[in-house]
Amino acid sequence: MADFAPDYDPSRRTYWPLFRLSPEPRTRRREANLFGKRTPAAWKHVDLLVVLCAGAISALGALMILSSTRGTDPDAYDTTYLSRQVLYIGMGVVAMVLVTLVDYRRLRDFAWVPYVIAVILLALVISPVGTERRGAQAWFQIGSFQLQPAELAKVITIFALASLLTRFQVPMAARYVGLGLAVLALPVALILAQPDLGTTLVFVAIAMGMLLVGGVKMRHIIVLTAAGLIAVVGVLDSDLLEDYQRDRLTVFLDQDTSLREETWNLNQSKIAVGSGGMMGKGLFEGTQTRLGIVPEQHTDFIFTALAEELGFAGSATLLGLFAVLCLRIWRTAQIAGDRLGTLICAGVLSMFVFQIFQNVGMTVGIMPITGIPLPFMSYGGSSVIASWVAVGLVLNVHMRRFG
Amino acid sequence: MSQTKRTEPSRLRLSVLGIVAVALFASLFARLYDLQIVGSPEFQLQAEANRVRTVHIEAPRGRILDRNGTVLVDNRVAVVVAINRSEFEDLSRGERGQLLERLAVELTRAGRPMSATEIRERLQDERYSRYAPVPIAQDVPESLKIYLDEHAEEFPSVTAERTAVREYPYGQLAAHILGYVGQINEEELTYVQAVHGDDAPKPYTRNDHIGKAGVERTYEQYLRGTPGERRIEVDAEGNPVRVIDERLPQPGDDLVLSIDIDIQAEAELRLRQGMEEARRRGAASDGTPFDPNAGAVVVEDPRNGQVLALASYPTYDPRQFVDGIDQQEWAYLNDPANHYPLNAIAIQGQYAPGSTFKLFTGYAGAMAGVRGIDDIYNDGGSYTIPGCTGLKCTRFNAGGNAYGPVDLRRAITVSSDAYFYSLGAEFWIQRQRFGGDEAMQRWLTPWGLGSETGIALTGEASGRVPTPQWRRDYCEAVQCGDPLWRAGDNVNMAIGQGDVLVTPLQLANGYATFANGGTRYVPQIALRVQDHDTGETVVSIEPEVAGRVEIPGELRQALLDGLAGVPRPGGTAAGAFAGFPLDQFPIAGKTGTAQVDGKADTAVFSAFGPIDDPRFQISVVIEEAGFGGTSSAPVARSLFDALAGFRPLPEAPLGGDLVLPSEPLSTAGAYD
Repeated sequence: MADFAPDYDPSRRTYWPLFRLSPEPRTRRREANLFGKRTPAAWKHVDLLVVLCAGAISALGALMILSSTRGTDPDAYDTTYLSRQVLYIGMGVVAMVLVTLVDYRRLRDFAWVPYVIAVILLALVISPVGTERRGAQAWFQIGSFQLQPAELAKVITIFALASLLTRFQVPMAARYVGLGLAVLALPVALILAQPDLGTTLVFVAIAMGMLLVGGVKMRHIIVLTAAGLIAVVGVLDSDLLEDYQRDRLTVFLDQDTSLREETWNLNQSKIAVGSGGMMGKGLFEGTQTRLGIVPEQHTDFIFTALAEELGFAGSATLLGLFAVLCLRIWRTAQIAGDRLGTLICAGVLSMFVFQIFQNVGMTVGIMPITGIPLPFMSYGGSSVIASWVAVGLVLNVHMRRFG
Repeated sequence: MSQTKRTEPSRLRLSVLGIVAVALFASLFARLYDLQIVGSPEFQLQAEANRVRTVHIEAPRGRILDRNGTVLVDNRVAVVVAINRSEFEDLSRGERGQLLERLAVELTRAGRPMSATEIRERLQDERYSRYAPVPIAQDVPESLKIYLDEHAEEFPSVTAERTAVREYPYGQLAAHILGYVGQINEEELTYVQAVHGDDAPKPYTRNDHIGKAGVERTYEQYLRGTPGERRIEVDAEGNPVRVIDERLPQPGDDLVLSIDIDIQAEAELRLRQGMEEARRRGAASDGTPFDPNAGAVVVEDPRNGQVLALASYPTYDPRQFVDGIDQQEWAYLNDPANHYPLNAIAIQGQYAPGSTFKLFTGYAGAMAGVRGIDDIYNDGGSYTIPGCTGLKCTRFNAGGNAYGPVDLRRAITVSSDAYFYSLGAEFWIQRQRFGGDEAMQRWLTPWGLGSETGIALTGEASGRVPTPQWRRDYCEAVQCGDPLWRAGDNVNMAIGQGDVLVTPLQLANGYATFANGGTRYVPQIALRVQDHDTGETVVSIEPEVAGRVEIPGELRQALLDGLAGVPRPGGTAAGAFAGFPLDQFPIAGKTGTAQVDGKADTAVFSAFGPIDDPRFQISVVIEEAGFGGTSSAPVARSLFDALAGFRPLPEAPLGGDLVLPSEPLSTAGAYD
């Protein structure tokens, strides 16, 4: 039978936004359950390449975090950031395993639960409970750890949007598209209020990818794209952003003329990348890295450490690993057992591709500077765990593609 | 389960997503290739510039020695109190204020009064490098260093380091020759950078010292050491992380002068004594008071142009410049009431030469054929310019004496003005015959008159040999009475009056040229440059001939006879040389007494000896001191006494404090 038949029967008139725990029409031959008999079969189809790529990138990231944070005192190298990041990676791997345990299709009806939690957290973070750093109210301070709910909200929204869109007939009517956009708009509005333009843009990328693959009519996509461009221009032109935020966004347009601090930062980033040359200056030998000349290097600008110390060889290897990872996600989207799986993978793919392009692009001066982490590489628990959860979702789809 | 049954639009759209992803990855690869492979060399340079700061370490300067190897300028270790700017900035605002107050108190207690505000101003001076401590007080007592070292925790960021500064074992002696060093100023920095470019072997930075005057300036390129360089790795805030490498500074080369410090000391002493005695003589016969405030003595070796002594008064103490001269001292040195002690009278003072000029005009008259060597002129005590209708048409001999029939020899010995008045007038009246408007002048300039001698010292004046053309130009520039050159002007010039000006060094060099038979040397002040450690000659400075004066033997003998008679009985310097053994050490010279409007006469004397093989040419000029034979000749005689060995030449006193002797110079006077 066709496994891409619509899972949703419009005649039943049950609307997803009500989050009704309705029994879905089961078309599968066998029921899958939490620890059911299908589970062993599913493990045989785990995409090891995805895990290996994500693991290799994480390891490279941890190494570069050490390089950029250990300081200049040879008698007392600082390994705080390294051990934290290793801990985050461990937590991320555990989260990934947990996500793969349960069949994503069984989880679909519960998609609203994390979504609601995420929205509540996003609302809380802009309340006095949250902590402001670098002009954005985006963190919860929990002991010495920070939780950035927007990072996790990205993955949660992907799953929520996917589970919503699969309920609509293809091609989608305008009102369903509007419903999907509303699900997106809630977290986006809260994130924009922090304000965190970078993560907002990631949501836009996710929405574009998922709506495209999800079966939205071409003319709707064109209208939405046009509206999005107008909105970006409008935001840049309005008072919504602080001056320095606007500077960060527009500095890449006049890199050689401006003398602002942002230009200096961008130049230092480009110098770090460019001076790496073919083979790099060697691990721990990057002067821009070792001497702390590139700002925010262990987080948003982690790529510059790798590019400086391991050169074009290293940065090409990293991009290669990312490319293989994305290829496997794209492949999983293609071979997914149902539309839900395809859409989840399309969302994760859009998220990763945009974040990689945006993050690396800003370090080399072809994209505006926005505070978007490089997946798996950048220092930060929320980002690392969210990335591994996203991989977990893809694995979940991949290993259950036959049933 | 077959995937081929998937609806086509979804599959197509997934492909679109894939293509977008591929395009984005491809553009990243392209950009990385562009930055890391194509643009890499440029970025590597920028990364290196980010990382490395170069600190310049100034090298000690070479020493300055006299011709016998006596050290005239040395280096001495001095304690410099400095503040490390980056450490200072790490302190809190309150700590900084307290620190500066405490430091100001300690400096003041150590005899270097300074206020906290002054220290703060120094710290804020942009001229100091960020990576080297900012000097606050130089040359502080060793005891302050010990105190600061012992109380280091009370003075964070303050250092007391030893550094090399100039030391002058002979104090003020030869100050104008030696000159002084000081911190390079903007103008000098621009100049040296323009001349040497960026790849100079001894580059300058803002904190560096440079020779400001004297041989310190003219031989700067040798005296200056090769600066060292320390390359420091710095972090993003510019804080030093480690020293990458270091090149030690190389001291500069030593300079050996032609000066003999003993002769120099004696010349300065006798000049001062001569001035003192002239002052004590009170006033001239017409009542004009003697007020000798400035004077110069030049001792030159006529055989090669080497300057043995170059004394100028007033003078200054180069030690004032060692720790940076203060405003008060600088104001004193530049106050007209103190007669500009920084100016070296010997090369910068310009005076009418008076009768000492007659050597040159006598030569001119004979060479131009105006008056033969043996032609007799009847000196009736005065001369009336033919055809003259205005004032001062009749000129009288100084002192009003009539010398009767005189030839060239006798005219010089007795200093017959009438002889030279008439000579000058004839030069002008018959100028068509003798070579035009500048008939006389063209025989004067070969002696180096009217142009710089070229001595390697700063600020030399050129003197002046006036011409009708000069008079026209001068009257155009400055409103003056009469733009026309007249016979009276030639009459004036013939006896070294009027508009003619010479520097004491020019006068000495002209006489030295005559003494050696006509070779005009560039007066030489330095003999060689030698290695600081080994003493090996690095650069040998050879005598340089500036020109030759053609002196026919007969004429030279006549002029020499005339000059030789001057110190002998009947000559104008007979009194000064009374008792001098001229038979053992024959001397030829000429006195001069130059009139200055409203002031007492300038006393001039120029002489050389021994006549057969002249080794010493001495010229003495003293302002407002009356007769040359009375005030200046005794100074020269006293020096000849010592140089000829008739009395011992005393050693120059260490510290440079000259004590005027109680016995007077020979003071018997005579008219010239």
